[in-house]
This record gives sequence, structure tokens and C-alpha cells, in this order.
Amino acid sequence: MAELKRSSLLTWLVSPFQPTREHADARFTYRGSSTLYLALLGLGVALLIVSLVGWAVDAKQFFFSYVVGWSFALTVTLGALFLTLIHHITKSHWSVVVRRIPEAMTWMFPVLAVLSIPILLGMHDLYHWTHEELYDPTDPHYDEILAGKRGYLNTPFWLARMAAYFLIWTFLSYRLLKLSLRQDLDPDRSIPKKQRRTAAWGIPVFGVTTAFASYDILMALDPHWFSTIFGVYIFAGAFFSASATIVLLALLLQRLGGSLRGIFTKEHYHDLGKWMFAMTAFWAYIAFSQYMLYWYGGIPEETVFYRHRFEHGWQWHSYSLMFFHFVLPFLILLPRASKRILPVLGVMTGWFLVIHWFDIHWIAMPVYDVFYGAGHAGFSWISIACGLGFLFFYLGLTLYHLQRHSLVPYNDPRFVRSLQFESV
Amino acid sequence: MEKDSNTPHADVLHEEDGWHRQPYDNDPPLVKGNLSFHEITDLVAYHTEKKTPITWFLAFGVASTGLMILFLMLAYQVYNGVGVWGNNVPVGWGWPIVNFVFWVGIGHAGTLISAILFLFRQRWRTSINRAAEAMTLFAVMCALIFPTFHVGRVWVVYWMLPIPNQMEMWPQFKSPLLWDVFAVSSYFIVSLLFWYVGLIPDLATLRDRAKGLRAKVLAFFALGWTGANRHWRNYEKSYLILAGLATPLVLSVHSVVSFDFAISIIPGWHTTIFPPYFVAGAIFSGFAMVLTLLVVARKIYGLEDLITLDHLEKMNIIILVTGSMVGFAYITEFFMAWYSQVEYEQYAFINRAFGPYAWAYWIMMTCNLISPQLFWFKKLRRSIPVMFALSIVVNIGMWFERFVITVTSLHRDFLPSSWDYFSPTWVDVLTFVGSFGLFFTLFLLFLRFVPMVAIAEVKGVKPEADPHFYDHEGDGHAAEAPQIAIQQPASEAQDGPDDVDDSTAPTTD
Repeated sequence: MAELKRSSLLTWLVSPFQPTREHADARFTYRGSSTLYLALLGLGVALLIVSLVGWAVDAKQFFFSYVVGWSFALTVTLGALFLTLIHHITKSHWSVVVRRIPEAMTWMFPVLAVLSIPILLGMHDLYHWTHEELYDPTDPHYDEILAGKRGYLNTPFWLARMAAYFLIWTFLSYRLLKLSLRQDLDPDRSIPKKQRRTAAWGIPVFGVTTAFASYDILMALDPHWFSTIFGVYIFAGAFFSASATIVLLALLLQRLGGSLRGIFTKEHYHDLGKWMFAMTAFWAYIAFSQYMLYWYGGIPEETVFYRHRFEHGWQWHSYSLMFFHFVLPFLILLPRASKRILPVLGVMTGWFLVIHWFDIHWIAMPVYDVFYGAGHAGFSWISIACGLGFLFFYLGLTLYHLQRHSLVPYNDPRFVRSLQFESV
Repeated sequence: MEKDSNTPHADVLHEEDGWHRQPYDNDPPLVKGNLSFHEITDLVAYHTEKKTPITWFLAFGVASTGLMILFLMLAYQVYNGVGVWGNNVPVGWGWPIVNFVFWVGIGHAGTLISAILFLFRQRWRTSINRAAEAMTLFAVMCALIFPTFHVGRVWVVYWMLPIPNQMEMWPQFKSPLLWDVFAVSSYFIVSLLFWYVGLIPDLATLRDRAKGLRAKVLAFFALGWTGANRHWRNYEKSYLILAGLATPLVLSVHSVVSFDFAISIIPGWHTTIFPPYFVAGAIFSGFAMVLTLLVVARKIYGLEDLITLDHLEKMNIIILVTGSMVGFAYITEFFMAWYSQVEYEQYAFINRAFGPYAWAYWIMMTCNLISPQLFWFKKLRRSIPVMFALSIVVNIGMWFERFVITVTSLHRDFLPSSWDYFSPTWVDVLTFVGSFGLFFTLFLLFLRFVPMVAIAEVKGVKPEADPHFYDHEGDGHAAEAPQIAIQQPASEAQDGPDDVDDSTAPTTD
């Protein structure tokens, strides 16, 4: 029996195991050409390089734009990890043929860890609390509030936390990926149980790390502001965007890659569409809770977050978020048909990814506006280059990783039931 | 789009093609004891048809005594005014709101089981949804007592409703207390409808087994159900629509309840995580109550084959998940209070954990965060004594959660001269005890008169209900005969009618 072999060190970063596709039935593997993922990868890398020009032109803008793009990719990956975890813990049938896609997406964690270098280099510009003078009581910039938080918001501890998050996420993804790919070569009946066990401890660990990472990466951009629901808000966005990304990748594999015909059926799309629909409502519920409670309380240190997002043109971003993140997608995805007509669902995946990026942009960019006084809302070309760059890079890399192995875990005991699945 | 993506998979996989086909990973059957459809009917319907056992009367006597206590306490309170309760100046919201939130929380499990678990295709819900939904309705009724009487002048309680009147007096639409009126009442109405729609096929089953006046009454409520294909079609459609409508309601009710606290600027209350955290807590407490009731009911009524240990284990897992979510919310609140560097928030939380109500805080922490962690162990989640004890511990913990939130934030407000310690009066205590009387009275009536398990739905999750079940077994008739023969002993162990002949209705001795 063939064994699962680790990739060489450099490839490990993008795909930790040597290809196993030759062991799988041809119907389960990628049948498209390499042009698809190479084109996406190339486009992504090119756009990211273009955005580096922005670093030279306007470093502060670049760091903010970059952190938006990077957080966008990170949240999608977190959503994919969560979907993988709940797939295992609930022993669900329908998602067995879907599973490889979120699994492949989770392997973005090590890549994103490497791609965090520009953020580390830009910490001083991104994170106001890294400024030493804030903590010197004799300095005119002394900030009592930040001095009080220093035990948590300080560079060494922040770096240690980031390292811990990425180690945990990578370890979880690696373990699930390894068990999953091993299943292709060795239909060991104990594997589903191991996957389930990993998911059991993985879910609480995921919850805690995601919440704190959202405080550290995004909430800490505006270090005075706080909200206890912030972690849930980011989680909602993560789930929202990951379900759309899975549909998009499946469509790419089928339509452009000619794979998974008759395996990944309309039924599976329908169920993923239901998640997309549910998450647009869940996101709105969380977003509304946060907004309404702060608006109603009217305490300045809390409402300031929304004040910044209701002036200098940012109000149009806020209104757009309400309509394009919730109202319209909710109405469009409500009928059964729109989740089963694949062109409609395909358009919605693009919509979801754009609006999720827009959401992160809405969280981060007004902070730049406040600290560095751009004075107006809008999109910098650097932000767009970073956003699209991360999106194409993400899709390309995930497809590259996917095509090295079987696209479905055909030895999963629930595989046949997944094929026979009919969504009601 | 090409047809391919929707073609059936049958032509995709051929075993002779040499891919490693695994046998089906069949989940353990949801219904144990190899019961036939008829035996399931008998097993459940029998309890509404038999002579009322003496133990039921005993239990009912105890419960209705509690109900009488409730009536007495409410009369006493109406006569004397709200002052007979322990509510004092800083703690304007004492036990009444604690009990209200406690009961509303419990009233979340039923509709979660029937609506959300339905949308999630959790077929195991069929054995427990009927009782859980009934419990939900009764818990919401218990909850409504407290705000109703807390208004002080209960005879004008209809002023809470926006009724046009010549005084041009309207309720305060900006108040979440009014949103509560709408949220809880729409939740109650939808839950009641949902429960009733689910009952219709079973009421018809009872009707067909009954004679005389009983048959007439049941016929009235069964709405002329004949089990025709068209009836089932409409039934399933309305069930799905009601599930869709009830799903956001499960979230909205307790979110609105949390707004009662969170829209204020009182430290410890004003925090954005309240809505999802209250919802998680509600599901947590609701499942604990379902567990408390069903562990006992399945034993007394001999329903162990329908409400199996697997069902209970799944409920325990939900308790573990929601308990951990609630626990993480406690920690998040505490962390954010520190992180915010708002001294009032910081004080509120330090005071909670180490102030005069520290005992309540640590009861809450132990019961809600720590004790459910025992369910990580399979042995413990499958042990009836452990789960029964834990379900009660969780209910206690969730009551204390509401007590901690309400009282610790209020008893030391911004004006230290008005700081006070809150103590309940005997009226508070007996009113709360009385609300349990109401709850159990209604629940006992439910057990006596309504099929406590959804007969039709449980049949639907039997393998025989699958349209393809007989694909490999001929036309079905052949497969049916031996099955009936096998099942004889299983039903004997239950309720006793010796002849389980298909044609004989169970005796109503």
C-alpha cells in the first residue's frame, strides 16, 4: 500500500504532501489543464507585486490596504477550517464530496503566516499602540487608557499571540489534511474517528483563537475601541465568505476544470447556498446587535467607531454594507431556485467575496483616515490591487493544492451517501 | 449549464471499476427495539387512552398545589402591591426579571429542536420534539406571569399593547420591554402553531382509535385529516414554512430579552455580546430542562426505545457546546471589561466575582462553565444518573446567571449612598415555587392527554419509511411479515396488552 509522503520543504508551504492523484480513479481527479491555476496564481502574484509599488509610493496606505487583503484571506481560511471541523464533528453526509475544498483552503495558514511579513514591518504605522511615547507619563502624547492596556497590547506579547494562533491553526489543518489524504491510500476505518476527535478539541480552540485574533489584528487597529461581540462578527464574516469561496472553487473545478461531473451535484450546491443564505442573515444579526446596542447606549468611547463610519463619505460604505451584505443577498438567495441555478449562485459567490472584502475594508480603512487624515472615504488603488491579488492568489494556490490529490475523499465511509444526497 | 452536474451519480460509480467502495456507514437506528409502525402507535397512544394511573393523580396533586400557591401569591401581590417583593431602590429589578428570563430561556429548546434541527436535518429530533415544544409553550406561559404582575396594576396590563384609544396614549416603542411583548408573543403564537400543526396527524391517529365523545373531540382538533397524499403534501409544506419562520424567532426572542439589559448603560449590562450569548444560554438551559423531564418521562412511560440513550447523548453534546459558548462569553465579558479600561465596567466585574454576591457568581461559573465539561467523557454523557444530576445543576446555574446579571449590576450603582444588598422576600420565593407548579400542572396535563412523542414523525425516520427500503426486498409485503413476528416480545415488555394483533386496538382498560 502506498504511503503518504511529505513534500520537500519549499513545497510543504503550499502543499504539505506529495501528489496522490495517481492512486485515485480518474473521475475523482482534476481533469483541467494547469493553465487555470497557473493563470490565477500569476494574476494574484502580479497584483500583489503591483501593490508593492504602493509600498514605495505611500507606505502607510499600503500597510492598511495590505492588512485588509491579508485579513480577507485569513478570515476566508478560518471559515474553511470551521466548516471542516463541523463537517467532522456532526458526521454529516452531504458535505463529504465538498470536504476536500475547505481542507485545501485551510492550508493557506502557513502561507498567510509568511505573507504577514509586510504587516510585521508596518506594525508601527498600523498599530498606534506600538508608539513608545504613549506610555511615558511625561510625554504630551501620554495615553492613560493605552497605558492601562499595555499588559495585553504590547509588541512582544502580540507577536507571541500571533505565532501561537498560526501554530495552532496550522497544526489543526495539517492534522485534518493528513488524516484525510491518508484515507485515499489506506481506507483505515479508524480515520473518521480520529478526524472527529481532532474536530472535538479543535472547535473550542478555533473559537478562542479566532475571537482573540480578531481583537489583535482588526480591533487593535483602533486601540481605544472595544466590543465584546467583535469576535463573533468576524466569525460570521469568515463563515459567510468561506461558504461562497467553496462554491466558487467547485464551480471553477467543474466549469473550467472539467472535473467532478456528476459527483459534486446541484444538491451540494443547494446546501452550500443555504449556508450562504443563512450566513448573510447571521452576519446581519450580529452586525445589527453591535450597532444597535452602541447607538442606543450612546456612550462616546463606544459610538466613536460608528461616528468615524458615518462621516467623510464613509456613511456610503456603511449604507452599502447594509444593502449589499444583507438586504439584497438575503432577498436574492431566499428562493429555492436561486440556490440551484448555478449561474445565479456563481454570481453570488463573487458578490459575497467582494462584499466581505468591503466589510474588512470598512473596519480597517476609516482608522487610516482618522490617524493619517486622508479625510475622505473611497478605495485606494493599492487596496484594490491587494484585495484582488489576495483573491486570485488564494484561488490559484488552493486549486494547485487541490489538483495534487483526489478531489473527493472516496474512501470516506460516508462517501456513497454523499453522492446520493438530495437536498430538500 | 451542462446537464452533468446534476446527473444522478449512479453511473459515476461502478463497483467493478475497482475503487475502494466502503460499505454504508449506517448510523445506529434511531428507534430501538425493532418496533413496527403499529407498535409505535400503540406505545405512544396508549398513554392517552389508558385509565389514569394513581401516580399521575399524586403528581398532579403536588403540581396543582404549587399552582394554588402561585395564585395565592399573585393575589397577595396584586392586593398589596409590588412592595411585597424584595425589589428595593437600587435593585428595581429583582427576582421577577430573573424568573422571567429564566423561564423564557427554558422556552427555547422546543422550537430549536423542532425548527432549527429540522432545517439541519437532524432526524433524531423526532423523538423529543413534541414534549420539548410543549414544554416550551408552558415555560413561556410561566415567564409571562412575571412581567405581567410586575407592572403593578395588572388590570391595565393591556396598556402594553398599542391599542388606539381616546387618551392618545401609546406604549413607549423605544423600550425593549415593549419589544419583549411583541417578540415573546409572536414566539408563543408561532411555537403554538408549529406544535399544533405537528400534532394533527397524531390527533387523527388517536381519533381513529377512539369511540364516542372522545372521538368527536379529537375529530374536531384533527381538522379532518385522512392521511391522504394531498394532506401530507400540505402538511410538509406548512411544516417547512413554519420551521423557516420559527428559526429567526428562536434567535430573536432571547436577543430582545438581552436588549432589556444591554441597551442601558449600566456596567455589566451594556455589552454587545449579550444577544448571541443570551441565545446560547437559553438553548443551554432549555436542553437541560428537556433532559430533566424526558429522563423521567421515558422511564415512567416505557419509552426507552423511542427516546434512546443516543438521543440523550446528543442532547448532552448540545449542552456541552452551548455551555462552553456561554462560559466563553463570561470570560470575554471579563476580558473586555479590563481591556476597555472603563473603570465602571472593571468595577462591575470585579464586584461580581469578589463582591458581596461572589457566592452567586461562583455558583454560576461552576454550574454553567465547569460542570458541563464532564460531558466530554462519553461514559458520563451516557450515564442517566449523571445527566439527570447535571441537567438540574445547569438549571440552577442558569437561574443564578440571571440573578448575577440583574442583581450584581444594580445593587451598587453610580451613587454609593444608595448601595444596598438585595434579599428576596417569602413572596418572591413562593411565587417562583408556584411558577413551577403551573409548569408541572400543564406538563402533566400534556402527558395525560396528548401523544407525548410525534408518532407520525418517528415512523418517518424508520428505515422502512425510506422509499427505497424495499428495493431489494420485493414489493414490501414479503418483508413485512417476518418483521411483525419478531416484534412481539418487545411490545409485551411495555404496557401489557397481551394481544398485539395488528387489527386489535389496544385495550383502554
